Parts: sequence; structure tokens; C-alpha cells
Amino acid sequence: MPIHSLSRRAVLALSLSLTTSLSFFAMTGTQAARADDRPVVRVAVQQVVNSGALTPLREQSNVGARIFPMIFASLIDLDRQGDLSPVPGLAESWKRIDDRTLELVLRKGATFHNGDEVTAEDVAFSFGPERMFGDRKPFRGKEAQATIQADETKPLFSAATVQGGPDLPPEVPAVGRRLWPSLERVEVVDKYTVRFVNALPDVTMEGRLARVGSQIISKRAFLEAKDWMSWARNPVSAGPFKVKEFRPDNVLVLEAHDTYYGGKPTVKEIRYVVVPEVPGRVNGLLSGEFDFVTDVPPDQVKTIEANPKFEVVGGPVLNHRLIVFDKNHPQLADPRVRQALTHAIDRQVIVDALWDGRTSVPAGLQWEYYADMFHKDWTVPQYNPDLARKLLKESGYKGEPIPFRVTNNYYTNQVQTAQVLTEMWRAVGFNIDIQMKENWQQIFDRNEPRGIRDWSNSAPFSDPVSSLVNQHGPNGQQQQVGEWTNAEFNKLSDKLETSTDRPERRVIFGRMLEIAEREDPAYTVLHRNIVLYGKRKDITWKWSPTFAMDFSADNIRFGQ
Amino acid sequence: MLRYIASRGLRALITIFLVLSFAFVILRLSGDPALLILSPDAPPEALEAFRKGWGLDAPLWRQYLGYFLNIAEGNFGQSMRDGRPAIDLVLERIPATLAITLPAFALKLLIGVPAGIFAALHRNSLIDRLVMSLSVAGYTIPSFVLGLVLVLVFAVNLGWLPSGGYTSPWHAVLPIVTLGLGGAAILARFTRSAMLEVLGQPYIRTASAKGLIWRRVVTSHALPNAAIPTVTIIGFMVGSLIAGAVVVESVFSWPGVGRLLVSAVANRDLAVVQAILLLVAACMVTSNLVVDALYGWIDPRLRSGRTVKAGG
Repeated sequence: MPIHSLSRRAVLALSLSLTTSLSFFAMTGTQAARADDRPVVRVAVQQVVNSGALTPLREQSNVGARIFPMIFASLIDLDRQGDLSPVPGLAESWKRIDDRTLELVLRKGATFHNGDEVTAEDVAFSFGPERMFGDRKPFRGKEAQATIQADETKPLFSAATVQGGPDLPPEVPAVGRRLWPSLERVEVVDKYTVRFVNALPDVTMEGRLARVGSQIISKRAFLEAKDWMSWARNPVSAGPFKVKEFRPDNVLVLEAHDTYYGGKPTVKEIRYVVVPEVPGRVNGLLSGEFDFVTDVPPDQVKTIEANPKFEVVGGPVLNHRLIVFDKNHPQLADPRVRQALTHAIDRQVIVDALWDGRTSVPAGLQWEYYADMFHKDWTVPQYNPDLARKLLKESGYKGEPIPFRVTNNYYTNQVQTAQVLTEMWRAVGFNIDIQMKENWQQIFDRNEPRGIRDWSNSAPFSDPVSSLVNQHGPNGQQQQVGEWTNAEFNKLSDKLETSTDRPERRVIFGRMLEIAEREDPAYTVLHRNIVLYGKRKDITWKWSPTFAMDFSADNIRFGQ
Repeated sequence: MLRYIASRGLRALITIFLVLSFAFVILRLSGDPALLILSPDAPPEALEAFRKGWGLDAPLWRQYLGYFLNIAEGNFGQSMRDGRPAIDLVLERIPATLAITLPAFALKLLIGVPAGIFAALHRNSLIDRLVMSLSVAGYTIPSFVLGLVLVLVFAVNLGWLPSGGYTSPWHAVLPIVTLGLGGAAILARFTRSAMLEVLGQPYIRTASAKGLIWRRVVTSHALPNAAIPTVTIIGFMVGSLIAGAVVVESVFSWPGVGRLLVSAVANRDLAVVQAILLLVAACMVTSNLVVDALYGWIDPRLRSGRTVKAGG
């Protein structure tokens, strides 16, 4: 083959490739700049959403929670960068009518991304069957529910087929009912007043309204969508930014919603670019490609801060890291063995060694923003290796292996934490068998005996129902996958959900903590999870413990 | 010839069927798309509804049968994450992948083949050793390491090029160079060894002895004879144009087929994985067929059906 012939072929190949490249860039190229000198914020994220949909009724992950408050607006908001207390959102005021009914007055003049005014009709629609519940009925108490289910012939899980709107995927009503298990209806009192009517007494209605998933959407935009996924790709709400471009796994571009009720954004656009690998994100920040990067592991803090132009901010979020027990495992059936596991952990060592002291050990599975429900004096089981050995001896444990299923750093530092825990447990006499698993199906697999696994729990609203009941109660994941149950705990769980007597609820919650963390351990809390962001130092921006990255007007300023 | 193509085609179909079946069984048995797509924190009833909605609660054999019946009707299924036809998702990523793999392919040819020839013609010289050292280095350094080194040097330290993303042609430079250098190293090694083997043959001595100038000996006698192994490697490279940049696309956050494959496998988005595998298998098989045809064009002995023996 003569060299000059090869060169011609190569030249042809090069021309073809250049044509392809240029057409690709022509397709993806940025539009001509408009007369808007506000800055663009570029954020490298590990993922925009896992489920491919920009709606909290399908997207249940923490990565989604990062962006949703920028797109969606809620009736009641949170002081995200402050003490997480409730603040007016689309509702300027609210009051209790009775223990089942909450009335809210909407602010006038708030607009959706499509220019429509936010009205009571939109609020009722947002919490209606067409958008949220499908044909799933509210929980009306155990006796009433039994009667209703006996009368119903409809399948439990079916896509809602409502005239005039896109069909809901079957998981959406299920998520909707988990967010609002007993919401009976939303009544339109007048154009700017709505009433949320619950089937059962519920003191958490205000909290639930502030949580991710309870945001208000435009009824007209939803009904005009071609199908549900088209809607979920381009949702229309009343948040500070609207969706301009979304390519799953690649990029989400939000542009300023200039008539946002909370003030015109000072940022023209936010570009969330998916960079799955940590080195890619860190290098992108240091090379000036991005203004912010998310999910910075503690071991990268020094690399970023070695450059004086950048800094790492962040801290504990509303999420605790736990270790979960399966009490069906022969060695874990005796609560003393699980108690021994909880007493053998030196949590502060994990915090200091793996998290550089940037996080802390919380007071069990609760958060300060629970306000009067928070038990300040409660603590995680004390680190006491002698007690652990004693409990182990009393239980008759003879060193049989206990499996510990671990995924490869689904949680930051997960593998390292598992190794540290295993050594701590080994030191008091346990024989722990770390089993690396690829995904959650393998973690939950019942074909082999399950023992210990990792988990994290969030508190999406300011009440223990959002964490202890929703995650470990009768309908929570741990009981649903058959790892743990406790009759007294379940009875208290039901009571906590419906009681309106706050002092009584506080006592109930305290007792539930005692059962699940001490007497019959379902789990043990390790530490608060933290989220770290790398950022340009010349941008003034405050992180939030809610996972949300807030780029609204009052939380970002360029130039020190 | 028709019989030859038909038998190759049948073998290709069997290969594709086996690849798809293997991927189906492995992916379905090793992960639950509901947990991966909706997240493990999703309410249990939502997970169950998702599984029911996508037929994941049906027995595996029924899902398998349904999948192949759909393929027979030209339906590759829908992405569970995206809701759109899987094949559309894959096709829309191809331009992005080709935007780096085609220039990288050109780079491999432009560097690899001349470097291999040059090294062979200057065997055991300093230049030969230098070329081969670089080639061994390029061949052995994993592309993610090379990619990260290039990013550190040209993006972080020098600030000449972007570190990742895809918003301008400059973003393509580092991925192209990363892919191109690795491939060029492979081609250089194969070309050199093929050339060395040919240059030792008696007909090269004969051509020189009859008075042909050395350049003519190389271009007319050595290169055509050394082309077959090189063309085989080039054929593989052409076959992997669609999905040959999985690692590099991940390192540089490049939104091509490779990134789609990684995310689809991670989420057990079966229809998307299968559509990619089908496309990759089809590309490989086609390029192999083309390479087979090229053998005949390059080597007249193959065209006339004669057996090739060492030494001609």
C-alpha cells in the first residue's frame, strides 16, 4: 500500500470527521448572546436527576432535591440558609381551621414560567388525581380503609386515565400518596384561598407543604403537555428559574424567571453539567470551566483549597448515615448482639479520620428543626467496648460470621467506613463478613442471609413522621423489605401520625427512639452526612442544609 | 461470493442473538431497574408500581420472549428512564461519539502507520527505539490515565484547553488526542512488525537485486504485502467507532454513546443497553465483512482463491 494512497484516505477520513464534528457543534452550539449582562452560573454535578424526570413525584433522590427549589415554588417555603423555619412561599399566610383542615391565602400576582397567574385552581390541581394521586384513595384510618378496600374492584396500581391530561406513570400516585397519605381534597374557597382537608387529624400538614414534592404547577401547562414525560422534561412552575434545555445525563440549563415573586434573579442562566467523576469535576473547577462543583469528597478539599481562587464550603445536611440490622439473621435475632454492635462503634473516630472533623455525631435519628419534638438529651449508644463484650458474652455469640453488605461508595466514604466498622466490631469479638455488592437489589436479596447494611435517612419535613415513621415504621422501607419489626413501635408509629396532642407526641417519639435505637435496635446512627461544594472564592454564596443549591437573587453575589 | 456473504451474515446474526441473550440475562438477574431508577429511598409501593408498570414482575422467560418478539417486529423497546424509544436515544448520541472517534481514527492512521513504517525501515536505530518506546507507553497507559494527565497539563496547569464538556470544538481536542494516541501506538506496533516480516522475505531481496530503487521496493512490494495485518486492526478500529470511547467519554463528560451505555447499564435500562449492543455488533460485523473484502483487493492471491504460504 503506497504511502501517498494512505495519506489520501487519511485526508478523506479527516474531512469526513471534521464535517461530523462541525455539524455536532453546530447542533449543540450556544445561541447568540442576548442583551442581558447577568452572569451565567456553571455547576458541575455528579448527576442532574437519576430518573430522567424533572419532577419530585418521580425523582426521589438527593441529586434531584438539589435543583427542584430553583424550578418549583411551594406554598410554604423554608428559610433554607437559616434555621429551616417555615416562611411564606406562594402562600402569604395560613391558618388552621381544625386539626384536619388548613387554609392558605395565596399571594396575588405570582406568575408561572408561562406567564399565567398562580391561582387557587392551580393549587387544587397540583394536589388532585390528574397530577398526583391517580386513583389512589386517601388513608382514612384502619377501619375505614378496610371497608373501602373491600368495596373497590379497581387494581391497586394502575396508571390514572383522566380526561384531558397525560396519563400518570404508576409510580407517581404511589409517591404522591406517600407524601400525602390522608389528604382528602383541596377546596378552592376563592381565587386566592384554598383549604387542604385531610381525612385524619394531622399536625404535619404545614411541614408536608414545605417538603420537596408539594410544589405547585401550572394546570394549563400540565394539561397541554403531549404526554407525561414531555411534561416531566419541561415542568412549568413558579420558581426563580425555568427549564430552557434538558438532556438527561448531560446538561440542564435553567434561565431566569424574571417575574419570580421572590425577586428577579441576578443570574441569567444556570448550567448544570453532568460530570460523573470526581477528578473531572475538580479539574473542571480548577481550570475555570465551572464556577461550582458538587459532591466534593473530603480528600479533595486540600487539592481545591491549594489554589487561592477557590474554596470548599458546605456541611451537615438533613441526612444521617446509618447502619441497618436484619433481625431475622440467626446471630442478630438477640437484641443484645445488635446492642453490642452499636456500643462497639467509636463514631467520633470515623468523623475525625474519614471526614476531617467536618461533620458530627447527631442525637440519634432526629434533627434540631423538629423544634419542640427534638429530644435534646437523647444520644446515640455510647462507645463502650467493655459493655459490647459483656452483651456479646451474655448473648452466647460464638463468633459465627455476620454478613455486612456494602456497595462501592454509593455513599461517600462508604467502603472506608465499612472497613473501620468491621475492625471496631472485630475488636470486641465479632466476626464480620464484608460482602461487596453492585447495587441495591443485591443488598436486599433474600436468597442469602442478610445481616448488616448501610443506609441514610433524611428528614424532608420538620417532624419525626418524616424520618422515623416513614423509614422504619410499618410502611417504611426497613419493615417492607422484612428486616425488622416491633409491635410496640408500630402501634406508637400509628399514634404519632394521627395524634394532635404535641406533648403526647413528644413522649411517643421519645419512646420510639428508645425502642429502635436501644432496646431492639433497628439501626444505629453513625454521623450526619455532609455535602461539600467547591466554588470560586469571588462568588458570595451560602450553602443550605436542605440539599438545595439556592441561586435566587438574595443568595448569590459576584465579586467579593 | 453470495454464499460467502450469506454464511458470514448468518454467523453475524447468531453472534448478535447470543450477545443480546447474554446481556438480557445478566442485566435482569443482577439489578432491579426500579431501585436504580427511582432510588432506594423511593416508597416501597412506588417501586412495586414501577415494576408492574414495566412488566418487571413477570417471569424472566416471559420478559425474554416478549423482548425478542418485539425486536422481530422492529420494536427495540422503550427506555425505562426516559420513556422514549431506546433506538432514538442511541441514534441521537451517535453524532457526538463520531465527533471524537472519527478525528481520533484519522489521527491513529496519520501517526500510527507512518511511525510503524518508519521504525521498521530504521530497525534498531535510535529512532526505532524511540518510536517503539512511545508506542509501548501509548499501548500500556490506560486511556483514563492518559486523559487525566492531559487534563492536568493542558487544562489545569496551562489553561490552554477545556477540561471536559462539549460546548465548543476546543472541548473535543483532548478526547480526540487521548483516543488517537492510544490507537496510534497500537497501529505503529502492528505496522512495524508486519513490515519487518515482509522486509525479510526473499522477494524483497530479489526486487532490490534486480536494481529497483529502495523507495520503489518499499512502496510497491513491501507495503502491499504488509497491509493485511494492519488492515485487520484498522477494521477493528472502524468497528469500534460507535462504542469505542466509553472510558474517554466518561473522563471528559462527553455526551456520546459510551456515556449512554455506562448510564444505561448502571440503571439496568435494558432496552437502551440492548439497542447499543445491537448497533455495536452490527458495526463490528459490517466492518469485518468489509475487511474480508479488502483482503481480496489487497492480495490478488486471496482473490483467486490460492492458499497463502509463508514466503509466497
